[in-house]
Amino acid sequence: MSAAATTSEATRFGSGQAVRRVEDPALVQGRGRFTDDVTLPGQAWLAFVRSDRAHARLRSVDVSGAKAMPGVLAVFTGGDLVAAGVKPMALPAGFKRPDGRDASAPPKQPLAHDVVRFVGEPVVAVVADSREAARAAVAAVWVDYDDLPAVTSLADALAPGAPQLWPGAPGNVLAEASYGDVAKTEAAFAAAAVRVAVEIDNQRLAASPMEPRSVLAYVEDGRLTMRLSSQMPTGVRTGLVASIPGRTVENTRVLVGDVGGGFGMKTGLYAEDVVVGWAALATGRPVKWQADRLEEFTAAVHGRDTTSRAEMALDASGKVLAMRVRSWANVGACPGAVSVAIPLVIGPWVLPSIYHVPLLQLRATAVLTNRVATGAYRGAGRPESIYIVERLMDAAAREMKLDPAELRRRNMVRPEQMPYTNAMAQVYDSGEFEKIMDQALALADWSGFAARRAEAMARGRLRGRGIATFLEWTGGLALEEDVRVDVTAEGFVELTSATMAMGQGIATSYVQLACDIFGVPPERIRVLQGDTDRANGFGSAGSRSLFTGGGAVHVASVRCIDESKKLAGEALEAPPVDIEYRAGRFNVVGTDLGIGLFELAARQPGARIVVSGTAKASGPSWPNACHVCEVEVDPATGDVQVVAHASVNDIGRIVSPVIVRGQVEGGAVQGIGQALCERVSYDAATGQLLSASFMDYALPRVDGFRGFKTAFDESVPCRTNVLGAKGVGELGTIGATPAVVNAVIDALDSAGLGREAERVQMPLTAEVVWRALRRDFASVLPATA
Amino acid sequence: MPMLQFKLNGAPVSADVETPTLLVHLLRDQLGLTGTHIGCDTAQCGCCTVMVDGAAVKSCNQLALQVAGREVTTVEGLAAADGRLHPVQEAFVACHGLQCGYCTPGMVMSAAALLRHNPRPSEGEIVEALEGNLCRCTGYVNIVAAVQQAARALREGAPR
Repeated sequence: MSAAATTSEATRFGSGQAVRRVEDPALVQGRGRFTDDVTLPGQAWLAFVRSDRAHARLRSVDVSGAKAMPGVLAVFTGGDLVAAGVKPMALPAGFKRPDGRDASAPPKQPLAHDVVRFVGEPVVAVVADSREAARAAVAAVWVDYDDLPAVTSLADALAPGAPQLWPGAPGNVLAEASYGDVAKTEAAFAAAAVRVAVEIDNQRLAASPMEPRSVLAYVEDGRLTMRLSSQMPTGVRTGLVASIPGRTVENTRVLVGDVGGGFGMKTGLYAEDVVVGWAALATGRPVKWQADRLEEFTAAVHGRDTTSRAEMALDASGKVLAMRVRSWANVGACPGAVSVAIPLVIGPWVLPSIYHVPLLQLRATAVLTNRVATGAYRGAGRPESIYIVERLMDAAAREMKLDPAELRRRNMVRPEQMPYTNAMAQVYDSGEFEKIMDQALALADWSGFAARRAEAMARGRLRGRGIATFLEWTGGLALEEDVRVDVTAEGFVELTSATMAMGQGIATSYVQLACDIFGVPPERIRVLQGDTDRANGFGSAGSRSLFTGGGAVHVASVRCIDESKKLAGEALEAPPVDIEYRAGRFNVVGTDLGIGLFELAARQPGARIVVSGTAKASGPSWPNACHVCEVEVDPATGDVQVVAHASVNDIGRIVSPVIVRGQVEGGAVQGIGQALCERVSYDAATGQLLSASFMDYALPRVDGFRGFKTAFDESVPCRTNVLGAKGVGELGTIGATPAVVNAVIDALDSAGLGREAERVQMPLTAEVVWRALRRDFASVLPATA
Repeated sequence: MPMLQFKLNGAPVSADVETPTLLVHLLRDQLGLTGTHIGCDTAQCGCCTVMVDGAAVKSCNQLALQVAGREVTTVEGLAAADGRLHPVQEAFVACHGLQCGYCTPGMVMSAAALLRHNPRPSEGEIVEALEGNLCRCTGYVNIVAAVQQAARALREGAPR
């Protein structure tokens, strides 16, 4: 290849270019390698017997019938695992109860041992020669339950005399966190010219990546290998080692191939992972478990499920004086640390959002119920907080009869205040929020709304407009990442990273960043992820991968060229300072003496050049955006249609323009899903999950809104990482939900409801909106509020 | 065990099939064609969509024996023999019509089936044809754009 051709090809694929993703040719031809696509010789199948009770004591578990079924290799109960020394999984640590005691939650046994606490909890595992044999044997297991009283709703769990889930959590209160100064906040509210309050049910959601979880475990020479679908291979290994006796980081390997979507749901160790790993060790056979969708709905972590009463105090000019929030998170029966950290720590960090909020008081309680645990889902705490503050802003604007954009403008943190420390002690490095909003107002034709509303009215439709201006915290507190670069004699630059692809296109972005430095064609660059034998780290969550891992790709690539110049100097018998690198070739300056990058690699010991690089961000990034949504409501049916949605997004420097647009718009559809149709629903009387299939849980379909106007402003780079990039993963989801709901409330307001319209709760289905138009609202707060 | 004979991606296939075997399990487990995915158990998600005699069919919702004597095309059989992508596959790549790629084979097959019998679909007809396919990543924006682009390419004579 000629140097000139190489350079131009690489430049076309460099950062900032709209490129075709490197992941796609395989995926569009069905040549992906998802966990369930791999089958091993002698592979057995595992199937679970799951609790059909919300809360019950296990009186007896009879597996004799199942063991006698044809093809059955082994049957494991919770008792078998306990006897074998398999330990429970990690519990929430570091949290306090309101009485000052440490938070205490039920032990998370991989298979229920004495008590089942949610419908879908694994009770027995059957291993058989085939999927069909395993499933048939599941039906032959007889579990005798003593039913215990169950509570699935927050209000029921907090009611006096409620059934108690765990002795260590009296009143079902698992943990609580309080922030801010109660007296000062009270005084600010007392003196305020304007006070508004809203009650919010941020309903439980199912992440629903299209690929269900899947695990394939096998043992070779005493080493346990787990192939599964996860965003955090190293975290899964850590959990396995802690749970399964005899496992160490040396004799345990986690492999991840293609991941069919994660959205936070595939971030931690699951009970099923432990059981499948144990079954492979116990039977000596490769063992596969493939979740069906029912298992995903009942037993994979859910998102959100936080109920709040939120208040805002403002002076007569519309300046926020204080915010006060009381919230309760329904974290389910068997929560982990993340279940509690999301509502008690991570969400609160962004509660002041982009506004200067002098006083903020929050009390947040994590409550145990007989639901499956909550976990990370698309924003994990940030959507809940931003939804609260954006609803309050609209309530205050309505109360003061101010343009909602104008009220936001009066309260935004100004660029000259950066770096800015918010009321939750979080430091924003950058952000020009008013500039972003003004662009969004122009993109959405904010000032032309009255004419559109009038035109809709003439058609018998109520048109509403909603805005959300906001930021989010990214990075997952894991701000350092290593990347190893191998230049091989075969002609490849290999980038090895512990971050994890899950559909977000991170491999393409890494290739683009490496193209910038190496100047070789993209086909010469390979990204290796998903193998704990190669790389370990936090993994991919919290929109961190580009600004940490991508930073490390950049640093390691630059280092690789620098180190290679020394090797080239030796090979060319010239001092490194006289060596220049361009597009895959080292040259001695001013001569035609040179050597190719890959040829140089071939001359090294092991026929490769190996260089590692580390990037450490000095803080999280704070991506921010303004979303403006318009909806039309049919007053006869309550049906809501999103008819316009514009957003301007500040994600700092953009590496992959096509990918980030896809992230924002795809994320926005998930946010619209929460606003309009999605809701996990448990039956209060029986604790059964009612939304247990895609027939009952309404995922957005293709007939929803697709006409996004999406723009980016790159003029405010992040100051805390080497790339200047801000995480993009959740902006669309976080912004769309409040923008859509504010628009629907605006439409209801226009029908004469005024501030009463603010009592409407998500999801804004036709029934909910139809009832709202008749002033029929559900109450959401627990009676103790 | 009944012997099943049918045409798969252009070639005749014979397989011994247990009567209750679903078409998707025959394809994935017995014939090793893992491009056809399973995303639910209620025939809602469409990840398993294949073409049977040119029509989009959810292969989780058919017994394998139902395709006896018929012609089945999976995502593996869509590209040209020389490896060139089918215009629908090409358009999904060009339009960023996929992120994680798990729903993609089903989406591609539904779209290809649509364009076989309707080379000039309206946006509404595309939406109707993809109503049985769920995608959680893309918000469908670029999927519909990809099908429109593929339709144009096919009309302009791109090899199918």
